[in-house]
Amino acid sequence: MSDRERSLTATGSPSLLPANQQAAIDIRDLVVTYGAKRAVDGLTFTVPRGAIFGFLGPNGSGKTTTIKTLLGFRPPDKGSALVFGYDVVRQSLEVRARIGFVSETNSLYDFLTIPQLCAFCRSVSSQWDQQVVDRYLGLFGLPPREKVGRLSKGMKSQLALSLAMGSNPDLLILDEPTAGLDPLARHAFLNTLVSEVAASGKTIFFSSHILSEVEAVATWVAIIREGKLVLCDELDHLKQSRSVVKLTYVDLPKASDIEVLRRLPEVMSLAQEGRSVRLVTRGDVESLTQALRAHPYALREVEVVDLNLEDLFLEYMKESRHGREGTH
Amino acid sequence: MVAKELIETRWKAIVCALLALVLVVVSAATYDLFKSMLSGSGSQVPQFFQQQVQQFLGSYDLYVWGNWFAKNGAEILAVLAAVLGAGLIAGEVSKGTIFFLLGKPISRERVLLTKYAVSACVLLAVTILSSVALLVTAAIIRHPQPIGGVVLSTLLLWLGELFVLGMAQLFSVLFRDVLRPLLLALFITILVAVPGFFPNGGAWSLLSYWSSQAAYLGQAFPGKEFIICLLGAVLPLLLALLLFRKQAY
Repeated sequence: MSDRERSLTATGSPSLLPANQQAAIDIRDLVVTYGAKRAVDGLTFTVPRGAIFGFLGPNGSGKTTTIKTLLGFRPPDKGSALVFGYDVVRQSLEVRARIGFVSETNSLYDFLTIPQLCAFCRSVSSQWDQQVVDRYLGLFGLPPREKVGRLSKGMKSQLALSLAMGSNPDLLILDEPTAGLDPLARHAFLNTLVSEVAASGKTIFFSSHILSEVEAVATWVAIIREGKLVLCDELDHLKQSRSVVKLTYVDLPKASDIEVLRRLPEVMSLAQEGRSVRLVTRGDVESLTQALRAHPYALREVEVVDLNLEDLFLEYMKESRHGREGTH
Repeated sequence: MVAKELIETRWKAIVCALLALVLVVVSAATYDLFKSMLSGSGSQVPQFFQQQVQQFLGSYDLYVWGNWFAKNGAEILAVLAAVLGAGLIAGEVSKGTIFFLLGKPISRERVLLTKYAVSACVLLAVTILSSVALLVTAAIIRHPQPIGGVVLSTLLLWLGELFVLGMAQLFSVLFRDVLRPLLLALFITILVAVPGFFPNGGAWSLLSYWSSQAAYLGQAFPGKEFIICLLGAVLPLLLALLLFRKQAY
């Protein structure tokens, strides 16, 4: 897959993935408003089949609204969204028949027992596999006959995932599934998500603002801010194409030197702390470091380190904010 | 889904059914007691009040109808209908379970109609239970009641409750908390009953159609009453269906 095919950025270049046959989710120019406020503002991206797709953004950025639109809870004001080629407005039942959904709040019916909740899900699902549910319940070690209201928050998340898998969905949509879970419960949840669910070939679309968990499991990421797409790309490609270069100077660098660095086309951002300068770069990092090393009189050390998702997220957030301020 | 709805409503229905049973038995069993009290009180009771009570206690059938179908039964079952209806959608929204429910591959029409049907059946069961208790109590105290009249009045009362249920469900679609639909449904119910308290206002009071005296006493078949009650039951439901289909969450 070429870079153009792989990447769909905030600049709005169209996805070149072959039409909807290949895509689990295909969102085009989506606009969703709450009164006068645009919660989702011209969103366009594609989720490939089989991907573990991390949907990132700060609180209130439009992640949950996008998910609500996919599930038919809220109609779009403009644009379209397709799930496996089905329109989320006109073919909502077909869409939901292929989706397993785990919500942010894990709001299950507290007054039901687990078997009663399973019976309820069976009665409202187009296909139901109790054996799969039982396997997941066993995997998580959940008490099989317990009342839902007596389960801990972590157990409810695990139960919600087990129930979502019971309908044998092609696409699993998880809205902040680990919000409020302790690290142990979060680890168990994510571990199962990758080792069991993703391994079975299902597409996973999950929103989160816990970057470390997205980095641990996602193969694709999209970043959204104020309803607009900032970035959408394969995580490996994203990490390969961006690096952090740490420069340590012998003496405090001159302001003019810093300005020269800042203006280099490869430099996305620069942060200085005394004699240390940290550059987030894109493109050919090798030629950049060679150019920097060509002036060894001032530099003590040049170190290239991998970029983690948190760095990347913060950079894109800064970049989009500056871009917005720049337009004012 | 029906089982889930039944489990959810069971305590409300049980409490209300017990309350209704106590009230219907008291309503049916106190006729002789009241009558003897009134005759014993003699001239101590004001003339105007005596006339009113005499009219009320004129016959056992009239007393039971006035006490249960026109008052206690209509009131308590209207409250149950409002409580059941108010929680149907707003209860799911306030607890956040609406996303779990609507995330399933079922139409919103099916969701709303299933919920409505379960509540309507619960109301029917409580209404029938109360009427059976009335018939049994009346038979025990040797005032057997006309079964046809009781059946017709029970059906009319149930249709009347469906109006309250429909209104509560309609407001339940519009609001995200349970209290406002409950209060608004009860307010509307009182509003449609108010004209009946004025002279010649019966024709404009929905309550007078739910609790038709002529139907209970077997004086006339309540065709008009059935049509009006049926319309009163169906219209709020249709409106709720239309709104729920478009409602965003």
